[in-house]
Amino acid sequence: MDRFLGDLKSGEHACVESIQGGGAIRRRMMDMGIVPGVELEVVRRAPFGGPLQVRLKGYYLAMRRGECAKIVVTEAREEQIDPVDKSLSIARPLAGR
Amino acid sequence: MKIALVGNPNVGKSTVFNVLTGSNQQVGNWAGKTVERKSGMIKRDQQTIEMIDLPGTYSLTAYSQEEIITREYILRENPDVVMAMVDASNIERNLYLVLQILELAPRVVIGLNMVDLAESSGITVHTVELAKALNVPVVEIVAAKGKGIESFLTEAIRVGMLPQDPLQSKVPYLVEIESKVQAMEKLLANNTWATKYPLRWLALKRLERDPEIGQEWKSSTPKPVKGKDKDACCDVGDGASYELQKTIELPGEELLKKYEEEGWNKDHFEMAFADAKYQYISQILPKIRTHINPSKPTWTDVIDRWTLSPIWGYPIMFAVLALVFWGSFVASAPLGGAISQGMAWMAELIVRLLQWGHAPEFVQSLIRDGIFAGVGAVLAFVPQIAIFFAFFSLMQDSGYLARAAFLGDRFMQLMGLHGKSFFSLVSGFGCNVPGIMATRTLEDPKDRLITMLINPLIPCVPRLGVMSAVVAAFFPGSRGTVIMLSLLTLSMFLVMVSALFLRRVVKQTQRSAFVMELPLYHIPTLRNVLLPTWQKTYSFLRRAWTFILVASIVVWVLSSYPQGVPMNATWAGTMGGWLSFIGAPLGFDWRIMVAIVFGFTAKETTLSTLGILYGVAANASQSIAQAMTGAMTPLNAYTFLVVYMLYIPCLASVVTTYKESGSLGWTSFGVAYNLILSFIMGWIVFHGGLALGFH
Repeated sequence: MDRFLGDLKSGEHACVESIQGGGAIRRRMMDMGIVPGVELEVVRRAPFGGPLQVRLKGYYLAMRRGECAKIVVTEAREEQIDPVDKSLSIARPLAGR
Repeated sequence: MKIALVGNPNVGKSTVFNVLTGSNQQVGNWAGKTVERKSGMIKRDQQTIEMIDLPGTYSLTAYSQEEIITREYILRENPDVVMAMVDASNIERNLYLVLQILELAPRVVIGLNMVDLAESSGITVHTVELAKALNVPVVEIVAAKGKGIESFLTEAIRVGMLPQDPLQSKVPYLVEIESKVQAMEKLLANNTWATKYPLRWLALKRLERDPEIGQEWKSSTPKPVKGKDKDACCDVGDGASYELQKTIELPGEELLKKYEEEGWNKDHFEMAFADAKYQYISQILPKIRTHINPSKPTWTDVIDRWTLSPIWGYPIMFAVLALVFWGSFVASAPLGGAISQGMAWMAELIVRLLQWGHAPEFVQSLIRDGIFAGVGAVLAFVPQIAIFFAFFSLMQDSGYLARAAFLGDRFMQLMGLHGKSFFSLVSGFGCNVPGIMATRTLEDPKDRLITMLINPLIPCVPRLGVMSAVVAAFFPGSRGTVIMLSLLTLSMFLVMVSALFLRRVVKQTQRSAFVMELPLYHIPTLRNVLLPTWQKTYSFLRRAWTFILVASIVVWVLSSYPQGVPMNATWAGTMGGWLSFIGAPLGFDWRIMVAIVFGFTAKETTLSTLGILYGVAANASQSIAQAMTGAMTPLNAYTFLVVYMLYIPCLASVVTTYKESGSLGWTSFGVAYNLILSFIMGWIVFHGGLALGFH
């Protein structure tokens, strides 16, 4: 079963697998660094059903729950967010559909 | 020589631009767009350089106005060199844009900014390695402290004057993609377009089916005259606008179709190219950056624990907003008062001169009661606006504004708006003019338009002042509080409903994505706060003063002629008489209609206008309001308040809306919408009240 970014709790780490949907929103996310293979951490969730704050590659993004519901995630492969040693990375197969 | 400054938002471009161009800046709008355009002149070694501060952008596609502008400028204006600013703390994402720029512009110099901030987080960027990896010169800067900026410029000039384009490293694509790119390159190589643009870039865009390549553009207006005198800081300077001459069908259509059959459509290519760039960055990252203690919390983390905490976040935001409001609208009152007094004193002086020169009475009255009174009323609230802008720049540059948008987004979502609209709407309580100008932070033009149009529905301080005086007179005691709250609730409700309604009108079918960066906090420089404050205030005044002047004169003429007749026979009174048929269903007589019409120029004057019309010679709003209790029933007063609160934005905000939206059509629509809405609500309130037995 697919797990989505919107399901994660504060402090959880994950790895982006794919982004559902297309168009401007997906492009925008890609431009901001959310591409298949990227590691991110959910920092906090705004109260009253507000946006999520995620940390990736050393910066912070805020995204609405609706958008996070489109990002499919899997288990994080590494604990650190900004690993110095990236030798574990392998060229990922494209997830775009 | 032409130099373009590009980079992500919040990376410090404006700091560098301000330092280099100082007051030799021209601020305007990009032709046909509502994004600010900043250009400036620099002189070095007998060379004149035109520098353009392109809008902050994350990428160079064609999805947002900022991206389109940046790309178009580089493509059509052919700057000699591009100065790309990169945030050392954020290098992975910043390089994504840099790689795109490298595909498009052959001569690039990278400015690595905020090196000090990065160091304090344990990040060291190895500039030599970076320069080697990308084959582009890299200069370290700490823009906030002014370090390295001059070297940055020197290096850029050097690259701009190189006899040949430097060779650049190419982003490696996966083998199967590379073959497709090269196949497309071959097809396009013989086309005339290949001579204008880098071939590889052209091939990539063709594979993405980019709509803008293949279009032939021609500059249609001459570029602005260079070398204006130092005082003309904020000229319109709209730059060249372009006309589409023809669209050429580029070759490669069959190849594209063939790829589509294999499953490689344009979206797939887009994703592949983006992915390849990020992969490339990941590969070179270990060489160019060391990050010790990556899990150590930064200052930003520490502060965010409070400002974004579920318990403390909202109280802190409330306190910050209260501080901004207090500083802008309460503490500045003495300044506003001083200006009013100064204007009155000047008016007296001029009138005396005119008396000495035996100028006719009407000229004296025109000067004192028409021009100075009208213009003075508006000028008196310039300190409010200027101080507010300063706070706004402070909040934006420091990074706090993004936190406010984060906290406010939930409520904005209910109205179909973006979190960034939150600050704009809240500012409207102080004054609609800065509220409307604060919509600049919104990226989507439709979001901006909607937020601008509903802003006037939020009662600003001048309106609240008049309202509270009337409420206090007609509904003394605690009843008054209830009435006031009911009015505010009504306006909030209408703001929400209007936002949703306007989404249909503006035809915003797709909700814009709320994907917003929360930048690292940093202390803004004084120059970065004061310079835009000065520019915005100046440009507001420049635009507004002619309108205000004309409007004041018109109001004076209407209320003074024909001379020597009682109030209801003047042109203003006659006009009120004509309009009273509109007011009758609401229980308004001609006096109220006249006051409503005149309230357009400045809302604070409504009460004094009413005073004159009711024959009350008093100065304080309270006494005027008291005197009115004899002439109106409480229900009348309440209806009047409802209409007054909603009916029309003041002249200053109409002018501002026009300037910010660039569209006369939408501005008129906004005015009409407010008018109609206010009268409908007034009618409902009046007849509802009668039906319920109030009087």
